[in-house]
Amino acid sequence: MIQVENTPLTPEQVDEVIDRFPGETGDVLSILEELQEKHPLKYLPRETLEYVADRKGLSPSRVYSVATFYSFFNLEPQGRHSVMICRGTACHTRGSNLLMSGVLAEAGGGAPDEDGSYTTPDHQLTVRTVACFGQCALAPVVGVNHEIYGRISDMKLRRIVRELIQKEKQHEDSTS
Amino acid sequence: MKIQHLDALNDIRETGLNKLLHSGPRIGVGMGTCGIGNGAHAVYEALKEALQKRGLDAYLGPVGCFGYCAVEPLVNVYLPGQPLVIFSEVKPEDAEYLVEELAAGRMPTRKALCRIEEWDFLTGEVTFGHGLPDIPRWDELPFFRGQKKIVLRNCGLINPEDLEEYIAIGGYFGLWQALNMPSTDEIIEEVKKSKLRGRGGAGYPTGVKWSLLQKAKADRKYMVCNADEGDPGAYMNRNEIESDPHMLLEGMMIGAYATGATEGIVYLRAEYPLAVQRLEKAVAACREAGLLGEGILGTEFAFNLQLVEGAGAFVCGEETAMVASLEGKAGRPQPRPPYPAESGLWGKPTNINNVETWCNVPVILARGGAWFAEVGTRNSAGTKVFSLVGKVQNTGLVELPLGTPLKDIVYGIGGGSPDGKRIKAIQTGGPSGGCIPALHFDTPVDYEALAELGAIMGSGGMVVMDEDNCMVDVARYFLEFTHSESCGKCIPCRVGLDESVRLLRKICDGEADMSDVEKLEELMPMIRDMSLCGLGQTAPNPVLTTLRYFRDEYDEHIRTRRCKAGVCENLYLSPCENSCPLNMRIPGYLQLIKEDRLEDAAEMIWLDNPLPASTGRICQHPCENRCRRADEDEAVNMREVHRYVADMAFESDLQRRVRERLMKGKLPETHKRVAVVGAGPSGLTAAFYLTMLGHNVMVFEEREEAGGMLRYSLPEYRLPRQVLMEELAVLEHIGVNITYRQRLGSGLSLDSLTEEYDAVFLATGTWNETQAGITGEDAPDVWHAIDFLEQVARNHPPPLGERVVVIGGGNAAVDSARTAIRLGASVTIAYRRERRDMPAIAEEVREAEEEGAELIFLSSPQRVVLDERGRVTGIELRRTKLGDFDASGRRTPVSTNEFFTLPCDAIIMAVGEKPEPDPMRRAGIQIRKNFTVVVDGITYETNVKGVHAGGDLVTGASNVSATMSTGKAAARAMDRILMGEDRMDRILKTFTYQNVAPREPEGGERNTSPVRKPGERKDNFDEVMLGLVAETALQESRRCLRCDVKQQCASRAPETEGALS
Amino acid sequence: MKESIKLTINEQALTAKPGQTILDVAWANDIDIPRLCYLKGLSGVGACRLCMVEVRGVPRLLAACVARVTDGMEVITDSPKLKSYRKMVLELLLAERNHICAFCVASGNCELQDLAQSLGVTHVRYPYRFPNFKVDASHDRFVHDPNRCVLCTRCLRTCEEIEGARTWNVRGRGIHSVMITDLNQPWGESPTCTTCGKCVQACPTGALVEKGRATGEMTRTGNLLPKLTSMRESGR
Repeated sequence: MIQVENTPLTPEQVDEVIDRFPGETGDVLSILEELQEKHPLKYLPRETLEYVADRKGLSPSRVYSVATFYSFFNLEPQGRHSVMICRGTACHTRGSNLLMSGVLAEAGGGAPDEDGSYTTPDHQLTVRTVACFGQCALAPVVGVNHEIYGRISDMKLRRIVRELIQKEKQHEDSTS
Repeated sequence: MKIQHLDALNDIRETGLNKLLHSGPRIGVGMGTCGIGNGAHAVYEALKEALQKRGLDAYLGPVGCFGYCAVEPLVNVYLPGQPLVIFSEVKPEDAEYLVEELAAGRMPTRKALCRIEEWDFLTGEVTFGHGLPDIPRWDELPFFRGQKKIVLRNCGLINPEDLEEYIAIGGYFGLWQALNMPSTDEIIEEVKKSKLRGRGGAGYPTGVKWSLLQKAKADRKYMVCNADEGDPGAYMNRNEIESDPHMLLEGMMIGAYATGATEGIVYLRAEYPLAVQRLEKAVAACREAGLLGEGILGTEFAFNLQLVEGAGAFVCGEETAMVASLEGKAGRPQPRPPYPAESGLWGKPTNINNVETWCNVPVILARGGAWFAEVGTRNSAGTKVFSLVGKVQNTGLVELPLGTPLKDIVYGIGGGSPDGKRIKAIQTGGPSGGCIPALHFDTPVDYEALAELGAIMGSGGMVVMDEDNCMVDVARYFLEFTHSESCGKCIPCRVGLDESVRLLRKICDGEADMSDVEKLEELMPMIRDMSLCGLGQTAPNPVLTTLRYFRDEYDEHIRTRRCKAGVCENLYLSPCENSCPLNMRIPGYLQLIKEDRLEDAAEMIWLDNPLPASTGRICQHPCENRCRRADEDEAVNMREVHRYVADMAFESDLQRRVRERLMKGKLPETHKRVAVVGAGPSGLTAAFYLTMLGHNVMVFEEREEAGGMLRYSLPEYRLPRQVLMEELAVLEHIGVNITYRQRLGSGLSLDSLTEEYDAVFLATGTWNETQAGITGEDAPDVWHAIDFLEQVARNHPPPLGERVVVIGGGNAAVDSARTAIRLGASVTIAYRRERRDMPAIAEEVREAEEEGAELIFLSSPQRVVLDERGRVTGIELRRTKLGDFDASGRRTPVSTNEFFTLPCDAIIMAVGEKPEPDPMRRAGIQIRKNFTVVVDGITYETNVKGVHAGGDLVTGASNVSATMSTGKAAARAMDRILMGEDRMDRILKTFTYQNVAPREPEGGERNTSPVRKPGERKDNFDEVMLGLVAETALQESRRCLRCDVKQQCASRAPETEGALS
Repeated sequence: MKESIKLTINEQALTAKPGQTILDVAWANDIDIPRLCYLKGLSGVGACRLCMVEVRGVPRLLAACVARVTDGMEVITDSPKLKSYRKMVLELLLAERNHICAFCVASGNCELQDLAQSLGVTHVRYPYRFPNFKVDASHDRFVHDPNRCVLCTRCLRTCEEIEGARTWNVRGRGIHSVMITDLNQPWGESPTCTTCGKCVQACPTGALVEKGRATGEMTRTGNLLPKLTSMRESGR
């Protein structure tokens, strides 16, 4: 298994982001968004939250509250690859509910958490639903590693996910 | 360079216009998110490369989206002096062709969608050029007809990343004007005069909102744009920002100046990265040009603008929640008052308007409030942008004057269903809105009319739903959404929605009873009235509207534990099984064939469908409409596989073994006697199941042979008589008794039946032809289709003469036509609507044409032309044209004053069939205006206790599998009433077989039955479709994707959370 | 501004001062309006929705704890609709977590229990969720049992507005909301908690209790209102 790089961001990295948002309005969201994006596993480690609270003079409970209120923030490490299934109305009416179970089956059959997100234990893949890509005319839509696939079917998506996993395995075999 | 005065603005306008009306070719590639999602990047790169290779001096740039998302990528091309031409579905490989043509100084024509000669940007006008009449004008396309682009005035035509192009079409002149008005009161007055209302959903008058902020006294005021477009299914704000960010900024600047705000904030969804990027660029360009910051356009006006990305919380669309979010808190709403205009962001007066509201503002300044108020209706002025998505042909963004009827949007602009399915409803307003049934598509779209129906305009999401959408599931879907987005602050929303979702899931899982619906009905008004913010207050709307308009679907889920739409997974085996009116376990028999267990397959088929050979030939195969294999290549040919099995049985010893197995599966004698009236497909089906359930069944048939329409109406080339006889033999073998020449009303009375039998099932069908009501209809050479087909079936074909005209567009019309051809006539079918409206099976229509039938459309019969001896010499028809859309989504034919006569020797009228009313009336059975019998939707019991009815008698003329399904359902219900429990599953034996879904499609291409050539078939009644053989039937079985094999893992989040970590 | 405001509550003519909420006025006149999240001395949040009242001419129901009185206002606090709505709200709340009084140290001293009695909620028609949260007993003196919590946020407001420690907040959203201390860490390890105990006093149920109490033993300081007010005046 690939060793997952899971270290908190350094204070310098965090400082750099915080310094760029000296204003007041909207700064907490912007800072947390950027910090999460900076982390290789796209999440906000506890240490980071603590540090942000300290630097911004906010109570830790407030920062934790914000980080758990918005669905965009992850408090757990995410997979290296992401499959995002749109749960918008147009996608739903065109059968997107079938897609999730298909991907989960390909990923080894886990169950999603309360936010509808699932990450494989080896952190290779995260599957989650998103509110709406706003690509409704192409429904059903999924994003695989931020590339949009429109008019997708269960079998097509499973094929894509299978290839992704396979490629990762090959990569692993060749590097180990 | 900072713009300090009008001259500078005018100079930039000139520069920009030189870009728009480039001296050489100009190519704009539609690069909104949907364009890019469809491959616009690759097209752009290919064009760039082709231009370089050719060395052509052309302007190439991105433009926004022109709205027609279904045919992206869109590319527009301008050549000096010529109209702007928009190309659709452009691929990278088209680049070379486009560039070559342009290099030759010609406008390309391939893939040209439409042309624009001049364009009113409202803040300025541009004439591109005239000519190119072969390319349709943009507003001649159905998708654009009736649209009025005010908000989308620039979208798809200018480069959203170029401030100069925005200024070129009159941008920021509105701001200039505002800054030079004598007082800010006049700006607000103009906005009030425009009657502009908030486009975020609530529809609060914008001018009034502004004047509240203007009057508020504070050292600092905030101007906020709500771009947190959270309604799933709506994406107009994304497109507005991506395609034309400056119109939003200009609107905000005008609003800020008018109200005295100095700080602006755009709260934008993080899910829209391209919109973020474009808006950031636009803000930077404005700062550089002195349009933001201090001393804007050389005046005292100062305004700063900041972008904040939301982090995924729908509730932040609520203004007090948005304020909390901007202050760096969780987005939980606050009770109002105080309203933000009093105390908003950081306690300061704040105004929040939706993106689209802002986008209207520059136009109101440029054209005046009075001009704007002229558009739309009295109370709902202006236009609204809608995202028209779901089950329509033309998906995309459409902008319409308020007051446009829904049917014009769904059927006109949207083009109706893409695959001929029945459109059931439109959902407007997202999770806060409601589902409006097709019945109400006459409703004009404005704030009030939609509210009256229980829906809302909302941000303009419109999702069209068809027969494959389950309305209970839709309600569950939206409630799951609002439930997952509830902030959790107030109890009605937090716990009330949780309980409601639980109840809806229970219904969708087939585990609910009627008291659950009652609980739901009680909770909804409470949640609506008691919740703290708009999210909770409007969350019940999807449930309330579906309960109001689609109550039957709730009943279906609870009482029959089925989901006809095939969405609620627990309530069906597979999409094919679910769409089959008989619920044949299709994946099962296909798998059994794969396992070489033909006998098991045959038994299973017979148990599910007692007429498998007949239906295998003539069923309309709704199973194929939902087959998921069609996503890969083509649907599995399920019908012909069961035909193959049945045919095999008749040709071999298999038949005996199936009979024996059926006999073995019969339940013990119950000593209950049941009478079935009518030996058509519905009566025979009921008789089969009642017999299998152990009852003593007697079928009374009016004619001398059984089969009903199958025997007397279906031509032999579709269903050979021999096949039907074989099927009947199986039924008789298991104990179905039939007595002939027994007509209800003459000799046979319902009273005596109810006395003698424990239950009665009426299935006497629709044997009366509807009269067209034209003069001469009674002439001897005018036939009604049913009579004509029956005569032929009895081997007494009437003399028709040489030329025959068939009136109608249904299966009876086509059957009559093809029969007449076989009798030697030349045939014309006249239909009052268009080809796509014909109810007949498409393959049958095609085969009729192959055999020489001529079809004429948009013609309705007027009068039969007779000679002096009273013989038919022709039929006079009246041309119709297509009028308004009716409730079925088809255009109603409207008479014109154009008449014409088709000479002919005989006429066959096939305009519809209906039941005979008299026997029912006399027996005291309640019937409708169209003479069909009224029954309970689930038990099929009539108003007379113990008397059930089914088949066409109840539904009106339908098709074989639908009519059989009523017999099957009625048998189940009758048995339940007779025996006090549901025993049907005891006879529907289950089979064990491998349950593995193939990971990749197997079996290759679709196998179909060989068809005899037109030349070989049109002069005889031999069967046309020859059927599959062992090899093709097996191959076809292998093509099944086994959708019945459900995924092992739970796809739904656990109901409650586990221990605190 | 006018010195006094004339209004009616349940057809009873009353006078009030500008700036008073409907609940203030009702209270001053011995008219009982059910409430749960409201606590005098803390900011009003209008979250529990039990104090919703009808006001003539206003199409929506108003939360009495935050709605200010206006001249000529006609308030109804106990219409059949309000009664049935309140009962539903309370039933939902009782079903949300674990509110089985028999095992609760706050039994007999619980506002939720009192409300159920006064609103006539004798049985709950909705299935109990029993979410089974872990009880946090890491603090020396206090216990936090989220299973008994009604999310009224009195603890949060007390801690922030009176003690100024800001130890409490809400984690997650919707039905998954849970009260937390600091970074969702055990209370006993909280770096911000001053162990003042005001939150425990403010809690209407058995979610926050003092350690070492047996069933029915947890009593609150008689009348919390003057105590909190004096804390605020003397303290921060």
